[in-house]
Amino acid sequence: MAQLNLVQSVARTLASEMARDERVVVLGEDVGKRGGVFLATEGLFDRFGPDRVIDSPLSEAAILGAAVGMAVHGLRPVAEIQFADYVYPGFDQLVSQAAKLRYRSGGQFYAPMVVRMPAGGGVKGGHHHSQNPETHFVHTPGLKVVYPSSPKDAKGLLTTAIRDDDPVVFMEPKRLYRAFKEEVPDDEYLVPLGKARVRREGDDLVLVSYGGSVAETLKAADALAEQGISAQVLDLRSLLPWDKEAVLEVVARVGRVVLVSEAPKTAGFISEVAATISEEVLDALLAPPVRVAGFDTPYPYAQDRAYLPGVNRILRAVQAVLDY
Amino acid sequence: MIQEVQRFKPFSAKPIALLSEAGEWRGPFDLDLTEEKLLTMYRDLVRARLLDERLGKLQRMGKTSFVAPAAGHEGAHIGVAHALRPGFDWLFPYYRDMGMVLALGVPPKELFAQSLATRADPNKGRQMPAHPGSAALNVFTAASPIASHLGPAVGAAISMKLRGTGQVAVASFGDGATSEGDFHAAVNFAGVQGAPIVLVCENNRYAISVDFHKQTASENIAVKAHAYGMPGYVVDGMDTLACYYVMQEVVERARSGHGPALVEMVVYRYGAHSSADDDARYRPREEVQRWRQRDPLRRFKAFLERRGLLDDAKEAALRESAEAELAAALKEAEAAGPVPTDWLFDDVYAERPAFLEEQRAQLEGVTRG
Ligand SMILES: Cc1ncc(C[n+]2csc(CCOP(=O)(O)OP(=O)(O)O)c2C)c(N)n1
Repeated sequence: MAQLNLVQSVARTLASEMARDERVVVLGEDVGKRGGVFLATEGLFDRFGPDRVIDSPLSEAAILGAAVGMAVHGLRPVAEIQFADYVYPGFDQLVSQAAKLRYRSGGQFYAPMVVRMPAGGGVKGGHHHSQNPETHFVHTPGLKVVYPSSPKDAKGLLTTAIRDDDPVVFMEPKRLYRAFKEEVPDDEYLVPLGKARVRREGDDLVLVSYGGSVAETLKAADALAEQGISAQVLDLRSLLPWDKEAVLEVVARVGRVVLVSEAPKTAGFISEVAATISEEVLDALLAPPVRVAGFDTPYPYAQDRAYLPGVNRILRAVQAVLDY
Repeated sequence: MIQEVQRFKPFSAKPIALLSEAGEWRGPFDLDLTEEKLLTMYRDLVRARLLDERLGKLQRMGKTSFVAPAAGHEGAHIGVAHALRPGFDWLFPYYRDMGMVLALGVPPKELFAQSLATRADPNKGRQMPAHPGSAALNVFTAASPIASHLGPAVGAAISMKLRGTGQVAVASFGDGATSEGDFHAAVNFAGVQGAPIVLVCENNRYAISVDFHKQTASENIAVKAHAYGMPGYVVDGMDTLACYYVMQEVVERARSGHGPALVEMVVYRYGAHSSADDDARYRPREEVQRWRQRDPLRRFKAFLERRGLLDDAKEAALRESAEAELAAALKEAEAAGPVPTDWLFDDVYAERPAFLEEQRAQLEGVTRG
C-alpha cells in the first residue's frame, strides 16, 4: 500500500479509473498541462493526452453543461470546478440540467458524471476561496453529495462516484490536501456512498462531522480523552445519501451528540441531521443535539481561523452537552 | 464632445501602436499631451512596477498570503487610468489591476493595508489580497469570481445614462473572463442599452495555464464586439500611449452618448499567474524573455529620452521618490495594526441582526478562553 496524501490519492484514483475505463474523461480549468492548480490531475495529461484531459475555457457553465452532454452521449466525465466557490456560474447546469435529467425524461436520459471541487476554509483564501456550498447540492434532489476527509476514503469514494450512474458532487477539503498521509490500497478499492466511518470509538458522547472539520473534531476528541471523556467520532463521508442508521444507532446508545460543520450554521446540513435525531430518537437523548458551525457571515479573510469551528468551540459545545 | 474624425478604426487586424519599440512616435496624428502629463504617466508606470515588486517581496517574507503579479500590464493600467476623470468616472477592476487603481488615485497605503489586512484597509480585511476598492474614488471593490463584475459595471453605466450624469464606467478583465457567460450577458446588455461603458480586456495570452487558443477560437477578443453591436479595438498593450489614446477616444465617445466599446489590450504577464502558481509548468522561459523585450516602461522611457524629457539623473530621482512614497505608505499601513477578530460580524447587513449578535458573543467567550 502506498502512503499518500489526499490530493495524491485523488490524482491516482483518476488515473486508475481512466486506465480501467476509456469512457472516463477529465475536464476543467487548468486540469491539463498544469495538472490542476492543486495538482489533483497531475500526470494525467501526459499519460492520457488532450482528448481525455481537456483544458476547458474559463466557464463553469460550459464545463458542467458539456459534462451533462458528454455523459448523455456515453462518456463518463469527471469535471473539476477549480474552487467550490466558482460553481455558481455553472450552478444552473448542475441543478437544472444534471440533477433533474433522469426525472424529467422519465428515466430515458441520465447523467453519470462527477463534479470535483476543492472546498472549505483555513487556507487564507477569503470568501471566494473558502466556502462550503454543500447545502445547495444536498437540497437539490437528483444530486448525490460526497465529502471525504481522508486519503483512503477519497480513493474509495471517488472510485464509487465515477462508476455511479447519477451525478455526484465530490467535495474535497482543500486544507487537508497535504495535511497528512495515510495508507491507500493500491488495488481496486470502493467505499459505498451513504456509509459513515467511525473515526474513533467512544461511550460518553458522539461527535458527528464530515469534510475538513473532521480534523478539528478528531483533535477535540483527543483533548477530551485526556480529560477522561470518551467521544465517538463519526465521519459522515457522504451527505446524500447520508448514513442515518449509523448516526441514530450511536446517538441512541450514548444519548449525547455534537454536530460539527464549517458551513454557515443556518439551514446547514448538520441541521438536517439534528432534526432527524430529534424526530427519531428523542427519547434516548440526555441533552439536545448541539451544532458547532461556521458563522452566518460571508467567509472572512483576516479572521480565517476564527471563523472555523475550531477545537475550543467544539469543546465548549461538548461541555454544554455534558453539563445539560 | 465626440471628435468629428475618429482617430482609430475598429477591428484592425494589427494591434494599434503609436510608439515603436525603440520609443519613436509613429502616430498618424500629432502628439497633443503636455510635458507634465507625459511625465506623470511615466511616474505612474514606475510606481505601478515598484508596487508590484514590493507586494512580491511582502509575499516572500510571509507578510501577505497572495499576490497577482502585474508586471507587463502597466502600459494598459496607466493608459486606462489616465483616460478617466478620477473620482467622477467609475472603474470596475479585477485583481490584477493594482497599477490601474494606484494611478487612478487610490492611496498606496490603502493598497498595502488591503494586502496585509490591517485596520487601514477600506475593505476591513474581508477580502484576500489584490482585491482593492474605494467608494471615495468610485472604484468598485474587486471580486474573485471571474467576470462577475461585468454585469454590475453595465448596470452602473445604464444608471449613468438614465440619470444623465455624464459619467463613464470602465470595466477590466482578462482574456479568460471572455469565456464566462457573465461576459457575454453583460456586453450584450451594454450594446442593447447603448450604455456609456468601455470594456477593457487585458489579454495576457493565458488564463493561469490555459493559453489563448484554448480559450477562444476567435482571432482576437476585439472581434467579439462586432456581434454585440459595438466597436472593438485591438491595441498594443505594451504601448502606454496607444492604450491611452484609444481609451480617451472611446471614453469620450461613450460620454457623449455614442455607446459602449470593447478594447483589447495585448499585454503579457512576466510573472506567474499568482504567488500560488508555477508558470514553468506551462510556459517556455524564452517566451517570457521575448515579451520582456517589449517592456512598457522601457519603451516609454526611450520615448521620453528622445524628446529630451528624461535622463538618467531624472529617472533616478523619480524612482527614489516613488520608492520613498511606497515605503512610507507601507509603514503607515502596517502601523494601523491587524483587523480585530470581532469585525467579522459587521457589515453582513446594514444592522447586525440578533442571531449574529449571539454568534459574536459565542466567539468572544472562546477567544477569551
Ligand atoms: C468563476 C471563476 N472560475 C475560476 C476562477 C479561478 N481563477 C482565478 S484567476 C483565473 C484565470 C483568469 O484568467 P484571465 O481572465 O485571463 O486573467 P489573468 O489572470 O490572465 O489576468 C482562474 C481560472 C475564478 N476566480 N472565478
